[in-house]
Amino acid sequence: MECVVQGIIETQHVEALEILLQGLCGVQRERLRVHELCLKSGPNLGVVSSEVRLLCDLDQPEPTWTVKHVGGAMRGAGADQISVMVRTMIESKVSKNALRMFYALGYKLDHELLKVGFAFHFQRIAHISVSVSSVNKMPKVHAIDEAVPVTPGMQIVDVTAPATPENYSEVAAAVSSFCEFLAPLVHLSKPFISTGVVPTAAAAAASLMSDGGGTTL
Amino acid sequence: MEGGVGLTTTQPQGQPPPVAEKLNQKVVQLLNLESVKTRAVSLFKAISRILEDFDAYARTNTTPKWQDILGQYSMVNLELFNIVEAVNEVSQAFVVLPKNVNAENAAILPVMLSSKLLPEMETDDNSKREQLLQGVQNLPIPMQIERLRARIDMIEAACKNAEGVLGETRKAYGFGTRQGPSMLPTMDKGQAAKIQEQENMLRAAINDGAGTRLPPDQRRITTALPPHLADVLIVNDAGKNAFHVASNNINSQGNMMQVSGTQFMGRSAASPSGANFDNTRSPLPYSNSPQSTGMVNAPSPQQHQLQQQQRSKLMQLPQHQQQLLAQQQQQLRQSSMQGLGQGQISSLQDLHGQTQQKFQTLHGQHQMPYSQPMGHQQFQARQLSGGHIQHSMSQGQLNPAMNRHLNQFSGGANSNMFTSAQGSPSSQMIPNMSSIQSQTLVPRMQQYGVSGTNPQRSHASQMLGDQMYNSSGMMQTQSQQPQQQQQQQGIYGGNMQTNQQTLQPNMLQNAQQRHQNPQ
Repeated sequence: MECVVQGIIETQHVEALEILLQGLCGVQRERLRVHELCLKSGPNLGVVSSEVRLLCDLDQPEPTWTVKHVGGAMRGAGADQISVMVRTMIESKVSKNALRMFYALGYKLDHELLKVGFAFHFQRIAHISVSVSSVNKMPKVHAIDEAVPVTPGMQIVDVTAPATPENYSEVAAAVSSFCEFLAPLVHLSKPFISTGVVPTAAAAAASLMSDGGGTTL
Repeated sequence: MEGGVGLTTTQPQGQPPPVAEKLNQKVVQLLNLESVKTRAVSLFKAISRILEDFDAYARTNTTPKWQDILGQYSMVNLELFNIVEAVNEVSQAFVVLPKNVNAENAAILPVMLSSKLLPEMETDDNSKREQLLQGVQNLPIPMQIERLRARIDMIEAACKNAEGVLGETRKAYGFGTRQGPSMLPTMDKGQAAKIQEQENMLRAAINDGAGTRLPPDQRRITTALPPHLADVLIVNDAGKNAFHVASNNINSQGNMMQVSGTQFMGRSAASPSGANFDNTRSPLPYSNSPQSTGMVNAPSPQQHQLQQQQRSKLMQLPQHQQQLLAQQQQQLRQSSMQGLGQGQISSLQDLHGQTQQKFQTLHGQHQMPYSQPMGHQQFQARQLSGGHIQHSMSQGQLNPAMNRHLNQFSGGANSNMFTSAQGSPSSQMIPNMSSIQSQTLVPRMQQYGVSGTNPQRSHASQMLGDQMYNSSGMMQTQSQQPQQQQQQQGIYGGNMQTNQQTLQPNMLQNAQQRHQNPQ
């Protein structure tokens, strides 16, 4: 289970967001370069097709694979009151044979993405991960080097935190309170809801990028 | 500064020891010394509290709440300013003398008491004075004063103008006196719409994958694989590999045929080839002549397209592979080619990679020995697929018998094939060939596992025909079977009662039925 919010930010403000996150999180940023393969099961494997995502972290010296299954989001009146999306999510590290195994099981490649950016992982009541990345698609299958951004001027901001059914409300509160700190630069919301950009983001970015200009008494 | 220093002594001066002197009551009231003192003390406490908080933050390594701290700081700042003002007033009323002169402050006292400026301050002061009186030093003093006054007036006028301009611009931009802009800078509609559109694209790409899917004709791996995928995916000579088209196209014939055609070839099992079937040429339209070395005849429209594409794919392969694959194809044909519905193909694709590997060890001549010893039973067993295998097994340990037979023939090379085939139980064709023990065939293949009767009757149609005629016979000989299997065969039997000519559509229907049955 995880709590997740997403937002968009213009590429020109990404550096300011990085400075803001550096100040808020207090940890070093980590580079993010993930090849995400989304596999779907065919109709021969079940009535409803299921989707599995294989993530290959290309940033490590040895590429590490993770399998991730994202389930449906919590619904209902309670879910509407929470400002983050709470959904089931199962994740596990796997060996590099996972792709072959899923193909052997009958899964097929639905689409693939390359995400390039940076991420911060820190602990604030919950283990929160913030990642800012540009999403690239590949013109040819598995052609990573030829990846082009889906939207060149815009990057996606992802804030996620793992949760359990017992503590998801605290985790959701922690995530939403953290998101308030990012309000000057980016509006965050549940993944399928569009938010737009922050109109005053330029001013906020300018103030973050400058050295402050203190006044002398 | 009003209120001079007033010292009133309650006792006559000069008397030892001098008692504490009290201040003039008026002065005390004016200056409100008590309140200044309490304010100073409270300010001191506030600052020390903040410092303690910082210490705690530093020790526990938590991040401070900047909003709170800034609030506290601004409060302290304001208080400090007020106190400094009050203290300034107070200090002007008094002269401070050091009361105690002892060893500690004896050295520093003269410096502190002197009214002379520090050397740096003095030079600074001098230079500033120079600057100020640059032009007017020669003139007599009143004129100097006049000139300086004129300068001051000019500066004042300039400042006023500047302030006026600032006020106007503030009004023009809607700035408040102290707050920021009252109206937010709005983007024009076009820009906002563009941003909205981009945002939707981006969110859809991340969450759904919209806009990132490649059209079917581009779903081939043509470029070199990146390093993290190079050892994960196996690419064969033709550039096709275990890559699968998304399920949307599963029913679109063209697409599937294209992809599956090549992969089919790798999948065909080794089974008795050419020699036995030279004599038999089926009159039926959808049977292929086993004599054709590489090309596949197209018996029916569906088969036609499949085989055409297979043929085209065959052309692309190098020669030895073509031969190999041709033989494989023949064997495949016998077992399951006909009526293979499009839905089946998807399940076969994934085996391609593995079978390709396995079949590298195959050689043409090895397939021959397999054919010859195939007696009735063995052939029957061989042709059976998963469900039907059980028929044969219950016929009295067919498999060991078959294994024995096979092993007899397997010289060194054959055993390679046999063992390698056994080693990949997931392959569909290999069980047809040898390892019938491994009943791991995809259920969909079951329906095509027609039990032939005669090694020479290699065509599936013929086998079906035989089964039609022998179905009852078979059922009788396999009397030990559990009911379920009989029913399975019964279904086939029922279907096969229909016209032989229309067998293929029936098989297709059967395929589709079976397609849904396991689900």
